[in-house]
Amino acid sequence: MSYSKFLAGALLASTALVGAAQAQEGGVTVVLSEELDLIDPCMATRSNIGRVVLQNISETLTELDVRGDGGVMPRLATDWEQTDDTTWRFNLREGVTFSDGSAFDAGDVVHSFERTQSDENSCEISRYYEGMGVTMTAVDDSTLEVSTDDPQPIMPLLMSLLTVVPSETGMEFTREPVGTGPYVLSEWNPGQNILLERRDDYWGEMPEVTSGNYVFRSDAAVRAAMVETGEADIAPSISALEATDPDMDKSYPNSETVYLRIDHSVAPFDDKRVREALNLAIDREAFVGTILADGTEPATAIVPPTTIGWNSEVEQWPYDPERAQELLDEAGADGVPVDAEVTLVGRTGNFPNATETYEAIVGMLNEAGFNMQLQMVEVAEHEQYYSKPYVQDRPILVGAQHDNSRGDPVFSMFFKYDSEGRQSGISDERVDDLIDQASAATGDERKALWSELFAYLHDEVISDALLFHMVGFARVGENVEYEPTIATNSQLQLAEIGLK
Amino acid sequence: MGQNDMSDTTATEAPAAKPAPSKSSLLSMLFADQFATVAACFVILVILCAIFGPLLLGEAASDQNLRARNAPPFTLDRGWLYILGGDALGRPLLPRIVVAAQNTIMIAAGAVAGSFIIGAVLGLTAGYSRKLVSEVIMRLADVIMSFPSLLLAVIVLYVLEPSVLNLVLVLAITRIPIYLRTTRAEVLEVRERMFVQAAQVMGASTFRIVFRHILPVILPTLLTIATLDFAFVMLAESALSFLGIGIQPPEITWGLMVSQGRQYLTSAWWLAFWPGLAIILTTMSLNLLSGWMRVALDPTQRWRLETGGKKNG
Amino acid sequence: MQKAIGKRAISSFISLFLLVILVFFLSRLTGDPAALFLPVDASEEMLEAFRERHGLNDPVIVQFFSYLGDLVRGDFGDSLRKARPALDVVLEAFVWTLQLALITMALVTVAAVTLGSIAAFKVGTAFDRFTSMLSLIGASAPDFWIAIVAIVLFSVNLGWVPTSGTGSVWHWILPICVLFIRPFGLILQVVRGSMLSALGSAYVKTARAKGVKNRPIIFVHTLRNAMLPVVTVIGDQAAALLNGAVVVETIFGFPGVGKLMIDSILQRDFNVILAAIMVTALAIFIMNILIDLAYALLDPRIRA
Repeated sequence: MSYSKFLAGALLASTALVGAAQAQEGGVTVVLSEELDLIDPCMATRSNIGRVVLQNISETLTELDVRGDGGVMPRLATDWEQTDDTTWRFNLREGVTFSDGSAFDAGDVVHSFERTQSDENSCEISRYYEGMGVTMTAVDDSTLEVSTDDPQPIMPLLMSLLTVVPSETGMEFTREPVGTGPYVLSEWNPGQNILLERRDDYWGEMPEVTSGNYVFRSDAAVRAAMVETGEADIAPSISALEATDPDMDKSYPNSETVYLRIDHSVAPFDDKRVREALNLAIDREAFVGTILADGTEPATAIVPPTTIGWNSEVEQWPYDPERAQELLDEAGADGVPVDAEVTLVGRTGNFPNATETYEAIVGMLNEAGFNMQLQMVEVAEHEQYYSKPYVQDRPILVGAQHDNSRGDPVFSMFFKYDSEGRQSGISDERVDDLIDQASAATGDERKALWSELFAYLHDEVISDALLFHMVGFARVGENVEYEPTIATNSQLQLAEIGLK
Repeated sequence: MGQNDMSDTTATEAPAAKPAPSKSSLLSMLFADQFATVAACFVILVILCAIFGPLLLGEAASDQNLRARNAPPFTLDRGWLYILGGDALGRPLLPRIVVAAQNTIMIAAGAVAGSFIIGAVLGLTAGYSRKLVSEVIMRLADVIMSFPSLLLAVIVLYVLEPSVLNLVLVLAITRIPIYLRTTRAEVLEVRERMFVQAAQVMGASTFRIVFRHILPVILPTLLTIATLDFAFVMLAESALSFLGIGIQPPEITWGLMVSQGRQYLTSAWWLAFWPGLAIILTTMSLNLLSGWMRVALDPTQRWRLETGGKKNG
Repeated sequence: MQKAIGKRAISSFISLFLLVILVFFLSRLTGDPAALFLPVDASEEMLEAFRERHGLNDPVIVQFFSYLGDLVRGDFGDSLRKARPALDVVLEAFVWTLQLALITMALVTVAAVTLGSIAAFKVGTAFDRFTSMLSLIGASAPDFWIAIVAIVLFSVNLGWVPTSGTGSVWHWILPICVLFIRPFGLILQVVRGSMLSALGSAYVKTARAKGVKNRPIIFVHTLRNAMLPVVTVIGDQAAALLNGAVVVETIFGFPGVGKLMIDSILQRDFNVILAAIMVTALAIFIMNILIDLAYALLDPRIRA
């Protein structure tokens, strides 16, 4: 009953007045930017949830090697093979137990998958398997068969997203996640902290860190200050401005790409010259090391360079405001309404210095002859502009940031470029076709197809104004050792932290 | 009630009894108080900036120059415009502060004036009319008071456009209850005083009693609150920007500048300091002026400024 | 008196009901929570399923009556984002806010009334000028600015107190100090102003003329008469704190209702917004009744 909970809360809060913060031996404190609303393993693709849950509490069959070149590595599966075009067979690790003591078997994986498909919850992992017609069957306790309607060459990679829960787990969101990982949830005080403790019966190598305490501060300066004062050991994301101490602060490519999405169906952006002018009018290099952190890279694709198929031959648009002005004049002479007022919609706080970045871009574009107006909005309003159906009563550019740390463009391209994609500004048959082909291809053919698509989008279609691959900064305290990776945005394995 | 008797015996000295001071005597009363004089000069300066700033310096204030990014203050190397330094996009701070005065003053003055007038009228009505009307108004105040201003801001700025005018609307609505409740509380007290009751007996109309007899008595308190509210509104606007739901660039206000400069507090303090100082100085000037005005408008205190006045400093 | 309070309770209930109606309909004008809950690359089917499950597809009026129906049974609905009862979420946070607000306001009231009265008695002196100046600077400096400077100075450089968070009594010091500054400046100004006009008013002069030399008596009389507007401002400031000290809670990671409110508003978590508003409004109504009682105590003539 709520009333008694209220009283209990009051008591708890007042006892908190006297109890001092307890730092555990061998434990680390991680300060995140945002509190966790949920802690369900099937929501682990959400950045802040993933940092707590993924591979700490819940594990996956496979894991993408982000520290080396190993590609997809075994985790709960020991090996896998494609038995025919549309079927994959995974051999599962034996002797693995969940933190509730029950044994892990293929039935649990099947249940975990079915759970994400249930309409009793809103598991967001399910979006990666949408429209594939995935069927999972437990051949025996340690063998799993996954079949799909069409060939799915990246099934092993997809399995790195499916967090495994025991088959007893109910369909609705759980607040007591049970997993096979090296840590178990031991405390959750909403608004204050989440505490994970190491399990003794973990199947793999015993991690050094005994417990992970997660706290939440939305201000980057405070997060940085906490590590500095020793109140926290790791702040996985602080802003470049605070990252002034080379001993503690480490930069990492955070797999985010910033771009201006163009709706090709609204004038003047239905004209290719105008889109080219837009690209030529932005001095991308001028941002690096000034408004944006050193290490930020001008982008030629919507996915970071570590993604397969990334095309190194695509050339960055040069900064050429004169040429931009010429192109605009040309288009204007042909009756394209190049003088129309264009709104650039950005989201406040989307990335450090977002507002300043967009202000500077608008300044550059106006310099080159555009008639730009900036509009910074909060997250909900931004979503209205970013996803279909679009606002089309006036020309709008949407400044957005896209995250793909999964190594394959398939997680981005459909949504951002297919005619049916919810954030796609284009409708191009060849693009649709290339996405379809590449998604079904394997090996070098897959790489080549993605490369072709990137070049086509950037040079021929001029689909959008790609801006930057961003870098993040983590602050790591003096008592621990930790190297952030491209995946630090989505996970933070306590097992990868060393103690000094 | 001894206390009441005391006030009643002398309260016939109604505020409207003395003729209002003429303009020239007001000025000489202003000069009698040096602090108020300085404050008045500053406020006039700010108002001039607000009116002419965007015309004169609008261009300079929006000129980006990444080479002058976070340029430090107190050097004339980049010209006098950069005397207070440059911001994160290398725009000179001095002209930006001058230009931002317009929006800042418009928002603060608009919100304060709006909430003041509506609040005072409702408060007078609530205090001087029958129970039912009073009750309805007070419950309305309760509703406004417990309607979170953040939610109001999100709703108004989402449904309408995020513009200066709509922000004024949001801030004005949220500040109504304070004037309303103060006015009513004061009216409840003042209306029992002898001069009001005398006026009633003499058959003065309600309108006349309220505006000629009651309002002048409570006006000083309301003005004090209004000047303080001026600061509050500037800061509330700043906090909204901080939370990402207030005025956003390319519009500029002092509050927005402070909020944007916040992240440079440790590396380039001047970004947030100067606009913050502008807010503080404006507020203090207004407050000194209102202190002076209290005295100047109060017939029982005016002598302090009229007779030599210097000892007041 | 009891009857008056009863009447007051009923009318407060009506205000509360009005508030719920307003918030319910207005907040639903501001966008689709499904698009915010699910990632941007969710499919239309997933969005649709989310809306369906949470009844967001029904006509708003139907949603409203089903919400009211649940409310009557004491069910405030579930948080869309946290998948647990909205009331639990709110009460957890409110406990923190309530404590923070009470402690801060108690300190502010004592300090502001004392210093403000002294300033009024010594009007024009250096003490008066100094307190006025100081309180004004405090009242006109942005709180996020003060908060961050305070953290850098007192936590990072001096190491006296923890930067943020909860856990020990030390964690409360910075948030309370930062919260203290603004209402302190404001209330001090009002106390001083109100005391000044009370001191200048006829009855104090009469008392002096009649030869009441005893300063404490004059002080008490004046203070009592000057308190009406002061009580109003104190109420206003306390209400603001009960609504949640958003900025301070956000910066210090303090799990109060203000932080919860801004998060819920930005994420369109309607049930939490509504529950939070009802809980804080209830607290504010109770406080307003107390303020009216205080009026009556201070000035017997108001006792109707």
